[in-house]
Order: sequence, then C-alpha cells, then structure tokens
Amino acid sequence: MRNEIELEGIIEDYLNGKLNDDEVKAFEELRLKDATVDHKVVAHKVFLESLNDYASISDLKNKMNEVHAQIDVAAISKEVGPHPSFIINIWRKNKAAIAVAASFILLTVVTLYSIQQTTQQSGSVELVSRELAKIKTSQSNLIRKINSTNNNSANVPKDLKPANFGGTGFALTANGYILTNLHVVDGADSVYVQDSKGNSYKAMVKRRDSQYDLAILKITDDSFTALSNLPYRLKQNIIGMGESVYTLGFPKDDAVYGQGYVSSKSGYNGDTTQYQVSIPVNPGNSGGPLLDHDGNIIGVISAKQNQVDGATFAVKSKYIQEALNSIPNDSLGKKIAFSKRNSLQGLSKPQQVNKIKDYVFMIKVYK
Amino acid sequence: MSNKLSSSVPTDREVVLGILNNSEEALNKLYTGYFPMVLQFILNNNGDEDDAKDVYQEGIIVLYNKIKGGNFELSSKLKTYIYSVCRRIWLKKLSQQSKKSNDISDFEDVIAVETDVEHHEEKDQQFDKMQSALLHLGEPCKTIIQDFYINNLSMQEICEKFGYTNADNAKTQKYKCLQRLKKLFFQS
Repeated sequence: MRNEIELEGIIEDYLNGKLNDDEVKAFEELRLKDATVDHKVVAHKVFLESLNDYASISDLKNKMNEVHAQIDVAAISKEVGPHPSFIINIWRKNKAAIAVAASFILLTVVTLYSIQQTTQQSGSVELVSRELAKIKTSQSNLIRKINSTNNNSANVPKDLKPANFGGTGFALTANGYILTNLHVVDGADSVYVQDSKGNSYKAMVKRRDSQYDLAILKITDDSFTALSNLPYRLKQNIIGMGESVYTLGFPKDDAVYGQGYVSSKSGYNGDTTQYQVSIPVNPGNSGGPLLDHDGNIIGVISAKQNQVDGATFAVKSKYIQEALNSIPNDSLGKKIAFSKRNSLQGLSKPQQVNKIKDYVFMIKVYK
Repeated sequence: MSNKLSSSVPTDREVVLGILNNSEEALNKLYTGYFPMVLQFILNNNGDEDDAKDVYQEGIIVLYNKIKGGNFELSSKLKTYIYSVCRRIWLKKLSQQSKKSNDISDFEDVIAVETDVEHHEEKDQQFDKMQSALLHLGEPCKTIIQDFYINNLSMQEICEKFGYTNADNAKTQKYKCLQRLKKLFFQS
C-alpha cells in the first residue's frame, strides 16, 4: 500500500516532468524491467489526459453558459426564427422551388402556345401534302388504267366505288351482255346486276380488257328475260369539244342523270383513248354510258380527277368497239353486234332517258 | 436568404489568438457573435432554443480543440466553419431522433467538416465517461480529485481544507479516491 502510493507519486511527478535527470533515468530503467509499472504509467497518462480534457471542456462550458446567460435568446429567436404563419414558412422554405415551378409553368404555357401555333401551320402543310398524296393516287389510278399490266384490284376503283357496292353498266346486246369498267368488277367474288325496276340478276364476268379498263358481263340468271332491241348505237366518230353529253349512273340505289360537255379530246395526262368530260359524277358512276344529245354512245365513264372540278374521264367509244372486236367469237359464244339503228334520235332528253334507263344497270359486286 | 444577421462579430484573427491565449473576452465576443446564426439555423430546422445552445456550444468546443490542437489552418471564414460544424452536429442529432433531415434550410455556405466532427464525438464520449465516473465517485473523493487535478491545489491545502491530521493521510485518501475513479473510468 505504502509502496504503491509512493509509486504513483513518482509516476505523477514523472509525467509532469518534476523528476530530475537521474531520477528519470532510474525510473525509465524500472519501466523497462517491470511491465506492470510501464502499464501503470501508460494508463495514468491516458487518465490524466482525459481528466485534463474534462477539466478544460467543463471550464469552457461554464464560461459559455455565463456568456449565454447574457444573451437575449428570445429576442433573437423572434428575429430569426420561422414565421408563425404556415404559408409564409412554406414560402420561405420553398422560395426557390416555387420560383422554379412558376417559371416552368410559364415556360410550358409559352411552349404550348407556340406549339399550337406551329401545329396549325404544320397541320395545313399536312393537309396540302395529303392532297398531294391524293393527286398522286388518282394519277396512279389512271396510269394503271392506261398501262394496266398488273392486275391490281382493290385500290383502283376506290375513288369511284365503295367496297361491296359497285358501279354502273349498260347493255351491249338484248340477250344480256353488259359493259362496265374492269375496275368495278375486278377481284369480285360474285357480281349481280340490278335493273331500273329493282330486279337483281346474277352475272358472270365474260371478258376483261385491262388495256382500256373495260369488262363484259353476261347475265346468267334464269329469271332474266331478253330485253327488247337496244335504243342506242355506238358512235365511233370522234366528237368535238363543246358537244353536250349526258350519262346515267348509280352513285346511289336509284339511277342518277348527269349532264355536261366534252371539255377535251384527250384524257388524263393527254391520254388519247379518253375524253375529258365536264360532268358531275360520283363513286358509282364508273362504267356508265356517255351519250351525246342524239342518244349515241360515245364513251364509258371511268374516272375523275380529284383536284379538278368536273374533270371526268370517259373511254372513247372507238375503244369499246376495239375491245369488242378483240374478243374471240367463241369466248362470248356469239358475235356481239351493236344495233345500227338509233331509235333515240330526235327525242327530247326526258324521253331518251326514259328509254335508256331500262338498259342501264347497277353493278353490285361482292368481294 | 433574406434575413442575414448583422450582429457585430470579431475578426477571425482576433478569435484565434484569443483562444490560444485563453482570453475570456475573445470567447465572449466569439460566442455572442455567431450564436444568432446557429440559432436561426436550428429554429428553422425542427429545433428549439435549447437545441441551439447545445449544438452551438459543441461547435465552439470543436473549434477550441481544433485551434488548441495546433493544426488549425484557416481554409475558410471562421463563420463558415462554425456554421458547417453546427449544421453537421445538428443533422446527426436529427437523424438519431429519426426526425426528417432532408429538406434542410441553409443560411450560409457549407464546407466539409466531417472528420472534425467525428474527432469531436470521440472526445465527447471520453468527456461523458469522465463525467459519469466523477458522478459515481461521490463525495468527498470527487472534490479531492477536482481540487488536486483540476484546481491544482497542493496536498497541504487539501489536507487543511478537509481537516486531515497530516498530509500522509490526505495522500492515502487521495490515492484511494484516484484508484476508484480510475476503475470507474476505465470500466465504463
């Protein structure tokens, strides 16, 4: 006990540097020899340092508390603390965020507004381009009609007849041969023709002439009774511009009369197999007969140009005859011959139409 | 931010020299100079005035230890350093209390002070250990130890103060007290 108290006194003096040189030397030798003493020295050193730290920090804390007591905390709190109002707090805390949000909204509004402006412009551009596309389609329609090498079906008549509807045709002979446009019946599963009285007959496509977009149908239905002699004849001479013409067709379920004039002796893109006729036609008029004022057939309505008002195209009668001639006799069974006589000559338009209407058929196509 | 604080603050150099010389006046100026800044930060981030006092005093202790440790290089304004340290300490406390510590409102620039704060935490643990050891030591040991080691009284003075018959008795008493305190300190 006594020794230990002595030892600690020496350790303390050693750590505080109170020993003289000889004593330090002796003590350090003792530390080297005796591990227990060395351990005690180290532990005491750590302890003393902690105690000193504790002392200085407590001292500092005491001083700070004294200073703190002199500060009017409440007054400063009032000045710097959060505002009692919730909304003002939100505003203070999120000033930056609110500013960002506000400018974002502003930007969005401006952008949307300008986008709207631009869309309006680009919309009209689109429209124009769509129109251009339409022109392109109508052009390709017609080109196909001219070249007609490939057997494309559905999209050719789109401008002229809706699906499952059809077009118009007219009697070539009294015994049931009917002429129409090839694009009306192309790709058809079955074809029916309906006369002006509403009787429907089954028909078969007998002949296709893709060069002039013509097709010849034969009524195969048993209930069909032969027509009386055809009132019109095929006029093969080219007729001039300004000649007044009319047509009968089925753009709806009942026959529709349309009147106009030959406006050009060539068709689309200068196609000499066609006339350009200024006559109002609609989808369903395809295949309808084009007659002059005397009731002579001068062509077959086949197409119209979308972008030009009243630009309808009709296959010239000359090519109807050519098409008929090119048909081998056995293919139709019997040579088709147009009547040479025109019983309509000299009659008024209503009388002519009245007579013709029995020979114009609605072609109904099921695909 | 709008309400910048305009209370008078001592120059940085004044503060550093004052701390090194244990000047109470320097501490006084330092403490009053920057307290409003920390108070503002704590009050606006889920704390009250007592939190502000605790955090600020810890921050000052960190600054003191740093300056007294001799390796203090003023790489930023003292204000920024104090603010950053207090901010760091407060964020730690917030997360310990599992209060939300995102969305912090800042009023000053912030610099990285993580190592200083961590170093301080170790020291703070030692401080707490010593405090609780002294608390458990009880009287009269506590006073004897404090008088001898902290107030630097001599054995003779202690002997007279506590009415021991001679210095040896006082020495023995002090030795016993010290052994108990060491035991408490190193065990805890």
